[in-house]
Amino acid sequence: MEQHLEYALYIASVLGAISLSLMMPRRSKPLRFLGPILGAAALGGLWLFLSGSDFWADRETGLSGAGFLYYYVFSGISIAAAVKVITHTRPVYAALWFVMVVLASAGLFIVLSAQFMAFAIIIIYGGAILVTYVFVIMLASQPDPDGQSGQIYDKVAREPTMACAAGFLLLAVLLSLSFDPQIAAQPDPDNSDIALIGSTLGGRPIQPSARFEYDPQSELMVEAQPIPTPTNLDPARLSNAERIGLDLFRSHPLGLELAGVILLISLVGAVVIARTKVPDEHPPAPG
Amino acid sequence: MPLNAIDSLALSHFLLTGAVLFCLGLIGFISRRNLIIMFLCTEMMFQGVAVSLVAFSRFHLNDTGQTFVIFVLTIAAAEAALALGLVVLLFRRKKTLDALAWSDLKG
Repeated sequence: MEQHLEYALYIASVLGAISLSLMMPRRSKPLRFLGPILGAAALGGLWLFLSGSDFWADRETGLSGAGFLYYYVFSGISIAAAVKVITHTRPVYAALWFVMVVLASAGLFIVLSAQFMAFAIIIIYGGAILVTYVFVIMLASQPDPDGQSGQIYDKVAREPTMACAAGFLLLAVLLSLSFDPQIAAQPDPDNSDIALIGSTLGGRPIQPSARFEYDPQSELMVEAQPIPTPTNLDPARLSNAERIGLDLFRSHPLGLELAGVILLISLVGAVVIARTKVPDEHPPAPG
Repeated sequence: MPLNAIDSLALSHFLLTGAVLFCLGLIGFISRRNLIIMFLCTEMMFQGVAVSLVAFSRFHLNDTGQTFVIFVLTIAAAEAALALGLVVLLFRRKKTLDALAWSDLKG
């Protein structure tokens, strides 16, 4: 039965590659209507591969609960919208379909009870980043050569067949390796990462050191009182956003500082790039 | 913790969605010729990674996965700002968004 499921994965990958390469923008579009049908079949095959031994051996354990239905709905919407993003010939519509990918991913996050990330991703991606993209699409638009349909570089993809083959080969390798129980279940204590790090670097546990602060009365550095930690921080009673905030500020303060530095540098860099004067070249447009 | 509602969903379901989004973004990045669409596809790869990270976070009941998504969003915002600035620069130079117009950079 395991063998059958492997075949389902490979067949689904091949079907997906064929359907996507049929749907990619090309000069001639033979059999384009077959693309969505084959794509749906590929997605069904992937889910069949996933439902795995439960689906075949023990029907009692799978397919229950409302989250199951929502997962399939949101996942199907996000994957279909992603296909529309990479196959649509008008950039503005591709950007709008990407908003659909973001909304469906936010639905998946809510299924995973990560409410804060769902709203954050809608606000940041669907709001800020997509507005920037649409703005640049408007800014960098050219008049259409033939008056009605878009540019030639939007209508003809570059090596779509090879790209689909490479992408779905990556997908098949990822899925067949990461979901193989024989690989996932056997951590080797002698060769694990932790043992390796311990043998090469000689780990040193972090010692809490005494902190000092300036005392204005005696004008000396005195040992600081330990920062009182709140005692009512029971993880089970906190909301999602509170738990993420605690994890962010307790465990990753350096990452937070670095993120701020990266944002500042990219802000300065974007201003510098936007103000650069460029010489104007007018080559003949390549076909 | 409402664990029961999600019991029948395995971690691999969400990893599958993340992997498919990542691979679709990769295919789009390789094969599309419009520079803006290429960078839109990198954002889609970020989406796939974010779905995987949140799924890991949920199934191990560890909030660090969601914290990492915040960092991913930071990098995505910085990348979008810089990449779109570069795209506008390239567009001003050649008056086209075609990536093949820059193929003479291959040398």
